[in-house]
Amino acid sequence: MELLSTITFLPLLGGLVILCVPKEKVGLIRGLAIFTTAATFAASLFLLGGFDPNLVGESIPKLQYVEQLNWIPSLGVHYFMGVDGLSVPIILLTTLLSFLAAIYSIGIETRVKEFFFWYLLLEVGMIGVFCAMDLFLFYLFWELTLVPMYFLIGVWGGPKKEFAAIKFFLFTLFGSVFMLLGILALYFASTPHTFNMLELMQANGSWSRSFQIVVFIAFYLGLAVKIPAFPFHTWLPLAHVEAPTPVSVILAGVLLKMGVYGLIRISYSILPAGYEWFLPYLIIIAFINIVYGALCAMAQTDMKKMVAYSSVNHMGYCLLGLAAVSTTGFNGAIFQMITHGIITGALFLLVGVLYDRAHTRDITAFGGLGAKLPVYSGIMALTCFASLGLPGLAGFVGEFMCFLGAFAYWKFWTTLSVAGILITAAFFLRMMQKVFLGPFNEKWKDLPEINLRELIAVGPLAVLTVLFGVWPQLILGLTDPTVKMISNMYEHMFQLVR
Amino acid sequence: MLNLHLLYPEIGLAVFALVLLTADLFFKGGKGKFLYFLGVFSACLTLGILGLAYSSPETYQGLGTMWTVDPLALFFKVLILATVILVLLLSVEYKPEAAHGHLGSFSALVLLSAVGMMLLVSAVDLLLIFLALELVSISSFILVGYERKDLRSSEGAMKYFIIGAFSSALMVYGISLFYGSMGTTRLTEIYPLFAQRSSAMFILGCLLILVGFGFKISMAPFHLWVADAYEGAPTPVTAFLSVAPKIAGMAVLLRVFTHFVPLASLDLSHVLCFLAMLTMTVGNCTAIFQTNVKRLLAYSSIAQAGYMLIGFVTGGILGREGVLLYSLVYLFMNLGIFAVVIHLGNEDGYELDAFDGLAKRDLALALLSTFFLLSLAGIPPLAGFIAKFRLFQSAIQGGWYWLAVVGVLNSVISVYYYMSIAHHMFFREPRRAEPARRGWIVTGTVALATAAIFLFGLYPEPALSTVRLSAEILPARAAGAARAAAPSTGPALLP
Repeated sequence: MELLSTITFLPLLGGLVILCVPKEKVGLIRGLAIFTTAATFAASLFLLGGFDPNLVGESIPKLQYVEQLNWIPSLGVHYFMGVDGLSVPIILLTTLLSFLAAIYSIGIETRVKEFFFWYLLLEVGMIGVFCAMDLFLFYLFWELTLVPMYFLIGVWGGPKKEFAAIKFFLFTLFGSVFMLLGILALYFASTPHTFNMLELMQANGSWSRSFQIVVFIAFYLGLAVKIPAFPFHTWLPLAHVEAPTPVSVILAGVLLKMGVYGLIRISYSILPAGYEWFLPYLIIIAFINIVYGALCAMAQTDMKKMVAYSSVNHMGYCLLGLAAVSTTGFNGAIFQMITHGIITGALFLLVGVLYDRAHTRDITAFGGLGAKLPVYSGIMALTCFASLGLPGLAGFVGEFMCFLGAFAYWKFWTTLSVAGILITAAFFLRMMQKVFLGPFNEKWKDLPEINLRELIAVGPLAVLTVLFGVWPQLILGLTDPTVKMISNMYEHMFQLVR
Repeated sequence: MLNLHLLYPEIGLAVFALVLLTADLFFKGGKGKFLYFLGVFSACLTLGILGLAYSSPETYQGLGTMWTVDPLALFFKVLILATVILVLLLSVEYKPEAAHGHLGSFSALVLLSAVGMMLLVSAVDLLLIFLALELVSISSFILVGYERKDLRSSEGAMKYFIIGAFSSALMVYGISLFYGSMGTTRLTEIYPLFAQRSSAMFILGCLLILVGFGFKISMAPFHLWVADAYEGAPTPVTAFLSVAPKIAGMAVLLRVFTHFVPLASLDLSHVLCFLAMLTMTVGNCTAIFQTNVKRLLAYSSIAQAGYMLIGFVTGGILGREGVLLYSLVYLFMNLGIFAVVIHLGNEDGYELDAFDGLAKRDLALALLSTFFLLSLAGIPPLAGFIAKFRLFQSAIQGGWYWLAVVGVLNSVISVYYYMSIAHHMFFREPRRAEPARRGWIVTGTVALATAAIFLFGLYPEPALSTVRLSAEILPARAAGAARAAAPSTGPALLP
C-alpha cells in the first residue's frame, strides 16, 4: 500500500479540485480544503497503525512504508519515500497543524480560492520533505514550500507583506541553492553515483574530512536559514508578523522543523566528520539563539513579534539538543520540535484571535482581559506557561532533555544558556500581566469571547500540550529506538566529545 | 556522390519564403493574416521533411564537405522550426497596426532567417558558417526595424545593424587568421592538424570567432545591443530573437568549440568561464532595474545565455547535454511568457504595470505565467530546474566549483525580478476590471508551453534520453576514440 504517497499527494489533489471550482462558491472551497486536510490527517493516523517503533536497523536507519521507483534513470534519481521514528511524529504534527490551521482559515475572506490552492500546495511540500529519502526528491519538496509561502504571505499578509514575502523567498533560496551544490557534490563523491540518503550514509567512510566539512557548510547554509539559526534569522520576525495567522502557524509549527530535521537526517547522518567539526560552533549558535532570541522577544511590544522571537529562542533549545550528540539530546530536540509546533501554533492562533477582534497586538493596549474573556485567557495562560517551560506541560520535557543532554559535554555554554529560560519566563509573564491582569481597559468592554471555530482550532493543541506534558512517552515511545540507533551510528567519531 | 538530398529541408523552406514574398503582392489588408498561416504551414511541412532524416537516417543523415546532417543539427533544426511556428502564430495575435503592412514579407523574413539558422547548425565549414550567419543577421535587422514609423523600432534596428556588422567583421578577421595558420576553413580537416600547428595566431583567430558569436548569443561584454533591439522590435520578433538565433548560435559553438577545436585544448576554458560568470551576473543585475517587460526579458535572456555557457566551459558530454536540454526547455518557457506579454501588451503596453492584478482578471493566465517565470528562475519541479541542474552538475563534475557557486547565486538574484512580475500580477490591483479576453492562439501556446515545462520537469526521462542521442556530432572524432574515453553513463569521478 502506497500510504506515504497518499498522504503526501492528497492535498495536491484537493488543491487541483479547488482550482476547478468557480471562485464565487466560497463555502464549497472552504469545505473542500478542510475535508482534504482532515483526510490527510486521518491518513497519517493510519501511519501510526502499522508503524513499529522498535524496528530499527543496525548501522543505518531501517525505513518503513518504503516506496521506491526508478524515477529519472538518466540523473540517477529515485522516487524513494520512507519513514522511521524520526519522521513519523513530525509528519503527524504537520498534518494535524495543517488541518487545524485550515479550520482557522475560514476567517480568510479575500481570494479564498487562491489561498487554499497555495495552502494545500504548501502542505504537499512539507509532508514530502519528511518522507523523501532521496536527496533530489528532498530538495524538490524543500523548494516546493517556497512559492506557496511567498504568495500566502504576500497576498494575505499585513502592512509590510510584500517585502516580507520576497525577503523570505530570497533568504531561503539563498540557503537552499548551496544545499543543491552540496547534494551534487555528494552525488559525485559516491560510487556508484547516488542521491539515496541511506547509501550515502554508508559511503561517508571513504570521504576526506575536508570534503565533509565543505559539504557540511553548504548544507548548513540551507538548513540554518530555515531553522533559523543566528545570524540567518532576520527573515523570521518579519515573515511571522506579516503572515496571516494560519500561515504563521504553519511557518512556525512546521517549516522551522525542516531545518532541524535536515540537520539530523542529512548533516549528522551523512557527514559525521563535518558535523563533528562544527559542534563547537553549533553550541555557541545555540546559546546565541536562546539568549539573544529571548532578549529580542523581551523588547517587543507587539505580541506576534514576541512569539516570533520566542521561536528563535525555542529553536535554540533544539540546537542545544543536537550539539549533545546523545540519545537524550536528540530525543530532546525532536520532542522540542513537536512541542514547539503545538505550543507556538496555539500561541499564534490565540494572538490571531485577539487581533481579529481588537485589530491591535500591542501588549500595552490591553489590560484586565482575564475577567472579561475567561476561556480565552485560560487557554492563553496554559499555552504561555507551556512555552516558558512549566513542569507538567509539554514545553518543559523537551527543554529539560535538551539541557540535560547538552550539559554532559558542554557545561559552560549550557549553563549560560539557562539564562534564556529565565528571560523567556520573564517576557511571557510580563505579557500576561499587561494583557490579562491589572485594571480593565474600558475600551474593550465589547470584546467578544473566543468563538467555536477558533476553539475547535486551538482546543486540540491545548489538550495535547497537557497530554504530552504528563505523558511524554507518547512521543518518546515512537522516537526513542530510532534515536538510540542514530546517536550511536558514529560512536567512534564522537567519543572525543563524550 | 551527389548528396543534395541532405539539404532538402533548407531548400524547401527557402522556396516557401520566396513564394510568400510573391504572395505578399496579392493579399492585402485583412486577408494578409492568411500569410502567417501559410508561413506556419510551410514550417510544418519542413518539419515533416526533417522527419525523413529521423526515419531513414542512413539516407538522410550524413557528412558533406561543407555541411553535415547529424543528430545535433537535427535536434536544433526541430527547435528552430518549432520556434518559427509558435512565433508566426503569435504574430497573428499581435495587434499594433504599424506592423500590419506586408505580412507576407514579414513571414518570409522569419522563414529566411530560419533557413540561415538551419544552415548554421549544419555547417562544418567556417565560410558557410559565416554566410549562414549573415543570412540570419540581415533578416533579423529588417525584422527588428519592421515598424518603420516607430522611432524605437528604427533605433533598435540601427544599433543591432551597426553592432552586428562590427561583430561580423571581427569574425571574418578571425576566420582569416584561422585559415592563415591551418590552410583550410574546413573544420573536418583541421583536427589532425591543430595539435601540431597550434600557434598564437590560431588561438587569436579562434578567440575572434568566439567573440563574433559572443555578439550573436548576447554574451557579456558584447551584449549592449540586446536591450534596445529587443525593446524596439515588434514583440513577436523579440520573442523570435530571444530564442532562435540564440540557440542556433549555441549549436555552432557546441560544434566548433567542444568538438572540432575544444576550448580546453586552446587554454581558453578559463576565459570562457569568466565570460559565463560575467554574462549571467550582468544580465541578472541589470534586469533587476528594468521597468519595461521587454527590456527585462532581454536582460533575462542574457542571463540565460550565461547559464548555457557553463556547458561550454565544462566541455564534457554532460555539459553538451546540458546545453541541449537547456535550449529545449528555454524555448518553451521563454515563448510561454512572451505569449502572455504579447497578449497583455496589445492593450496595456509593455511597462511592468501591464501585469497589474492579472490574478484577479484572469487567474489561470496569472498562475501559468508564474510557472513560466519560476521555470526561468530554475525553481523545481519545473523544467528550468532540471536543465539548470544538468548544467550545474556538469560544472561540479568538471571541478568548476566557483562557476557553480556564481551560477546558483545568480539564480537567487533572478528570482527577485522574475517575482517582481508575479508581484504585479498577484499583489497589485487591476487597472481595468473586465477579464482579459484571450484568443485561441495565446491560450494554445500558453497551454503547450505549460504542458512542456511540467512534463520535462516532472518526467524528464524522455527529454534526457532524446538529448543524449542528439548530442552526437558527425564526424565522430578520431574513430570514436573520444567517445570510448568518456563513458556515456556514470561520468568520471571527481577527487
